Amino acid sequence: MTGGVWLLRRLVASVAIVFAVITFIFILIHLAPGKPCSENLDPRVCTLLTRQFGLDQPIAVQYWRYLVELAHGNLGMSFSLRRPVWDALVETVPFTLQLAGAALVFDFLLGLGLGIYQAARVNRLPDLVLGNATLFIYSLPTFWLAPILLLVFGEKLGWFPVGGASDPIFCPQVDSLYCVADRLWHLVLPATTLGVVGAAGTARFQRAAMLEVASQDYVRTARAKGVPERQIVLRHQLRNALLSFITRFGLAFPFLLTGAVLVETIFAWPGMGRLAFDAILTRDYPVVTASALIASTVVVAGNLLADILLGFADPRLRVHAAADADVVTA
Amino acid sequence: MLRRSAFSYYIVLTVATLGACERRGGCTTAGCGTLIDAAVVEPPTLLPPSTEDIVASDIAEQLFLKLADVGMSTNTVGDEDFQPLLAQRWEWDGPLTLVFHIDPRARWQDGQRVTAADVEFTFNAYNDSAVASPFRPKLQRIEKVTQRDSLTAVFRFREKYPEMFYDAVYHMRILPAHLLRSVPREQWRTAPFGRQPVGDGPYRFVRWQAAQSIELVADTTFFLGRPGIRRLIWRFTPSLPVAVQQVIADQADIREQLVTPDNVERAKAAKQLAIYPFRGNVYTFLSFNQRAPGDTSKPHPLFGDRDVRRALTMAVDRASLVKSTLGDLGQVPPGPISALVGIWAPDIRQLPYDTAQAARLLSLHGWRDHDGDGIRDKDGQPLAFHILVPSSSGLRKQYARLLQEQFRAIGVRAEIDELEGSVVAQRTGSGNYDTAILSRSNDPSPGSGITQSWTLAGFGGSNFGRYYNPEFERIVQRAISAPKRDQARTLWRYALETINADAPGIFLYALANVGAVHKRVENVQFRPDSWAALLRTWRIPPDRLIDRDRVER
Repeated sequence: MTGGVWLLRRLVASVAIVFAVITFIFILIHLAPGKPCSENLDPRVCTLLTRQFGLDQPIAVQYWRYLVELAHGNLGMSFSLRRPVWDALVETVPFTLQLAGAALVFDFLLGLGLGIYQAARVNRLPDLVLGNATLFIYSLPTFWLAPILLLVFGEKLGWFPVGGASDPIFCPQVDSLYCVADRLWHLVLPATTLGVVGAAGTARFQRAAMLEVASQDYVRTARAKGVPERQIVLRHQLRNALLSFITRFGLAFPFLLTGAVLVETIFAWPGMGRLAFDAILTRDYPVVTASALIASTVVVAGNLLADILLGFADPRLRVHAAADADVVTA
Repeated sequence: MLRRSAFSYYIVLTVATLGACERRGGCTTAGCGTLIDAAVVEPPTLLPPSTEDIVASDIAEQLFLKLADVGMSTNTVGDEDFQPLLAQRWEWDGPLTLVFHIDPRARWQDGQRVTAADVEFTFNAYNDSAVASPFRPKLQRIEKVTQRDSLTAVFRFREKYPEMFYDAVYHMRILPAHLLRSVPREQWRTAPFGRQPVGDGPYRFVRWQAAQSIELVADTTFFLGRPGIRRLIWRFTPSLPVAVQQVIADQADIREQLVTPDNVERAKAAKQLAIYPFRGNVYTFLSFNQRAPGDTSKPHPLFGDRDVRRALTMAVDRASLVKSTLGDLGQVPPGPISALVGIWAPDIRQLPYDTAQAARLLSLHGWRDHDGDGIRDKDGQPLAFHILVPSSSGLRKQYARLLQEQFRAIGVRAEIDELEGSVVAQRTGSGNYDTAILSRSNDPSPGSGITQSWTLAGFGGSNFGRYYNPEFERIVQRAISAPKRDQARTLWRYALETINADAPGIFLYALANVGAVHKRVENVQFRPDSWAALLRTWRIPPDRLIDRDRVER
């Protein structure tokens, strides 16, 4: 029951956070200088369009209209795309999920594996080499890495496609096994760019967490009892070190979504990040606000999921949360 | 090498195995072929009156016909150089009436006949303020369009002038009235038709994948002859370097504008690419705002003075700037025109590069360095201003810095404001700036571009700097109305020399276009005003077809 109350409170708080984010973004983007008109558009035509889109109204009126429309499930009409925002999001969000999902898998599988491997060989040559390598990779800025990968593996070596999400001739739609492979092939460079830096960070965090747990009494006890080393690492060290891993999992969502903006733009990946970036530049207010709505929902949901997972991984946290809830309820 | 081969082998093997049953091929005859254009911008709509977007225009060339079109000469005076398209022929019925006879073979791709009613409907739509068409101002001298019978459309003009025919045919693409009549005009900008158009051109619309590509397929029943290439794909890439990489890596076939000398060199080095230079349609200039920023009722404290503008113009070595930044890809424009416009002539008189004279002129007007800080001043005010430049344009940002240095050399301080394009548009559109580096694209006629950007007709519109000289206006009007081409040319020359002497801006560079196309394509012709206008005549010989040309779906 108390766990349910805790979850309910977190859900209410999550909705409030999302609402606050879209309000903040709505006000900020409307206050920012600039108009949703291109540089060479005749200002008289621009004025006409501004009126057609209702942008000549006070910001409070526009905000109220936005909320009313949002309550009816209408995200508005994109100025620059000339189509409902919902349609644009339905087409682009799956691409971002594919990219972020692939990057997340890359990040955590590789990062977790490297972290465990290093912790098991602490201060030995593989640990030192990998430690420096992960630090090097972690230091690479994505805006540099992306064009370099594109240049080397796309243009020079020709191993991977130079941008795009699919072959426009053979696979305009993913409707066959060949086209699934084609999509994965197109995904390699952007997902690597987005995932490899995160994996390096995850490896370093995981190594530190594993080493911290290694000095705990129960690990020493297990080792003294003659439990096999593999079992100690996997059952005792890893499970307890997972707490920081799960926390980092929750924090990875904002990183992935912000990283996707750049990666999608450079790799011409037709996702929500590129959509949002173009929308900011063109002052396409409905798209910016809707993107913020989606992004904040994903981030908040990711953190909620991480908190729930933490409860499963460490029952003590569930007890604390329930006790906190009781105190507040009382 | 071994590792690379093994890696490639595994990838190819995996993909080939997965797709072995899926890939179908077989088109091997003339008329096969697929061309992929690496486009940088995705158009917002394909409904012609609703957008001036350049990629939308390229695609619309394939979908919607004009009544007639300019030839390779891009001569816009008279009608002798125009090629018939939807109109089989035309004749003049008096000095103000032009009669078009529509080709009876013309059909919309849903099977309906193209009629004079479509022409009348199109004209009315382009002229409807609810559509907010950017082409509307260019049709102001056409009084009305009517239908004499189902295949005869009659244009009635308000006055007689040399470019009547050009105005009648160039700006409008004829639209299917039966499909658009029911769509409220104020909703045209967002009409679903714009994303799934039905045209009458050489290609049919197949699909639009948002942020990815637009695909067209040849209409084999096209009344003017089957297009030479079966499938056209515009693939959207938000960055020019990546678009160029796609062509170099043989993952696309066309990049119509390489833009920078570096890109041209890289494309030249790619064995499969052929390079096609053609006249550019853009010029870039430093606009001097002649009215006070934010208050158009007062003159600008610096640029309201003609001599200050002239001095600053003379302080800039435009030829060296073009050479150092663009090499052979740019020229100093002889006025506010691009190389596309027929009146371009390098010997049109301009203010010289003469820093001594520039300095003398400023000193003569009291702008001297009284306090010894290296910057000229007058009445305690330094000779300083801001240069507004869109942060998205690397070339213009580079020019801003070079101009800053050249102004500094004569004791003028320029500060650079690099801002987003939308902010630049807002500030220039509202007159809230000192100077701005702006680009303008021309259509082949000097009349509409110069009128909109440099005369009173452009106040509140594209004449951001509010330049006004009654003498210039008079000459422009005479040039537009001149009955003979030579006479018009002389008058335009005089007009350009007049505006150059007034220095409402420093005309910095006009880019030459260089396109890259895969060598397997034959009969490639880039018409300077629209590279895609003649795409239907390009072809790929059967013996040069590659995998992507043969695919059938």
